[in-house]
Amino acid sequence: MPLPVFLLLPALILSAGVFLAPFLWLASTSFRTQAAGSLLLAEGVSLDNYIRLFADPYFVEVLIRTLAYSLATTLASVLIALPVARFIAVRAGRLKGFLLALMLVPLVSGALLPSLGMLHLMGPLGVVNGIARMLGLPPVKLLGTSAGILIGLVQSFLPLMVLPLVNTLSRLPSDLEQAAASLGAPAIAIWRRVILPLAMPGLVAGSVLVFCASFTSFVTPQILGQGHIAMFGTVAYQQAGQVLDWPFASALAVVALAMIGLLQAVVTLASRFVRRREIRQ
Amino acid sequence: MTSSDGVRASLKRLARVGHVVWIVLVYVVLLAPIAVLILASFDDGSFFRFPPQHFSWRWYQAAASSREYRSALGTSSLVALLSAAIAVTSGSLAAYTLVRHQPRGAKIIEAILLAPLVLPLIVWSIALLQIYSVLGLSGTLTGLVLAHTVITLPYAVRIMHATFERIDPTLEAAAVSLGARPFDVARRVIIPLALPGLLTSTAFAVLVSFNDVIVSALIAGGRWMTFPVRVYSQLRGQGVDPITLAIGAGITAIIVVAAVAGELTMKWSRQV
Repeated sequence: MPLPVFLLLPALILSAGVFLAPFLWLASTSFRTQAAGSLLLAEGVSLDNYIRLFADPYFVEVLIRTLAYSLATTLASVLIALPVARFIAVRAGRLKGFLLALMLVPLVSGALLPSLGMLHLMGPLGVVNGIARMLGLPPVKLLGTSAGILIGLVQSFLPLMVLPLVNTLSRLPSDLEQAAASLGAPAIAIWRRVILPLAMPGLVAGSVLVFCASFTSFVTPQILGQGHIAMFGTVAYQQAGQVLDWPFASALAVVALAMIGLLQAVVTLASRFVRRREIRQ
Repeated sequence: MTSSDGVRASLKRLARVGHVVWIVLVYVVLLAPIAVLILASFDDGSFFRFPPQHFSWRWYQAAASSREYRSALGTSSLVALLSAAIAVTSGSLAAYTLVRHQPRGAKIIEAILLAPLVLPLIVWSIALLQIYSVLGLSGTLTGLVLAHTVITLPYAVRIMHATFERIDPTLEAAAVSLGARPFDVARRVIIPLALPGLLTSTAFAVLVSFNDVIVSALIAGGRWMTFPVRVYSQLRGQGVDPITLAIGAGITAIIVVAAVAGELTMKWSRQV
């Protein structure tokens, strides 16, 4: 065997054998059912899990809610991140490295520890309500509400939108904007006609990252939802880790995977279509 | 004309100030959970309330003497180091081969190697849970390290790929033409030049492994329980244990310092 192929093998075995192969297993067990009262699979192949999933309003509602929350998180991230990325890319100067480093913090500190902080930020005796009490305002209920989960999701995943955007915005030639401005284009027109179209690749990349991360998140909805609001991640964990209905958990996972894949395909095609139309103009 | 110019100028100034205010607000919200975690860990009470009551090191002292958390931290560190070592080694070999030899199907191989970044880990771990139970790997150290190696590997591959692409291949050719054996080329030329990449990918691998909740929560057992899983099950069972706040605050402080150092010296934000 020639040397190069040999050097690729360990990583390929891990990625293909241990990571990708289980997805095939998942697809196949989703068509099986468990023998009553046992973890063993019963004989026969059927659509039972999928029928059960789509016939039960609870699971359908969970999937729709997850989709809605993930889209809302993505949209909020776009709106919050654009000015931030623009500032870091163009105006930050010597602060750029420092601002990027702080932007990394929520990403590298994982999901769990910031959620512990969020719990004390949003709780009935936490920081937000403590400040509200001092100001004589009524208490705010955030834990166990959709607002709380959405704040948590945006807080955790905003950097996934900001960092790709900073990368694309840093590469925009600044004379392009100056040219537009010197020709008398108002700021809004510069944003709409120059900055946004050129930032599109970063915007698409960031949106896909934030959407996927929100859709499959588990810790944030579990801890901030306090068990009152179910999302795909919490229900999938429940089915796989507590109810131990593995074939059903597999079917749920396959449906989620299909939803994410479909949405990604739509976004990719749409952005390609938009770009082609712009080039033609 | 001049008055409308004046209005426009002050509007512009207002927009610039507004922009800065927005940045400050976003960063405050972004870092608030970590700040609150650290604040709460120094509160004397067994249940944190704002405003904080009394400053104390109590929970840090309790953390130091807790055998339960020490063993969970030990497991987490062991798993993180072992899986990072395997992932960075195999990931570097693969990335080097892809960059220097450009084998047929390099694009497909790269896609396979980076798949764990694209496909959701929660979906994968539901499958892994079932396969592990068939193979008898559930709750074992081997199973845990194997799973963590797989989720950290793509970071190593991507970072090392970018690292090797920036290293001039003529340096290696020069060493070979001067009579260096392959092993010496690796030791004396490639590894020193790739050192920043090796450090960055090791740090990312350790962080990804150390932070993982969902994969470990599904496949780890009582014997080998990682720190995040221990914290998570404590949280679900009995609520917040202030000891976890103290340990969590300590870990987060280390991570923040590492992130700032990594960004300023090695541009970590480009790796995301």
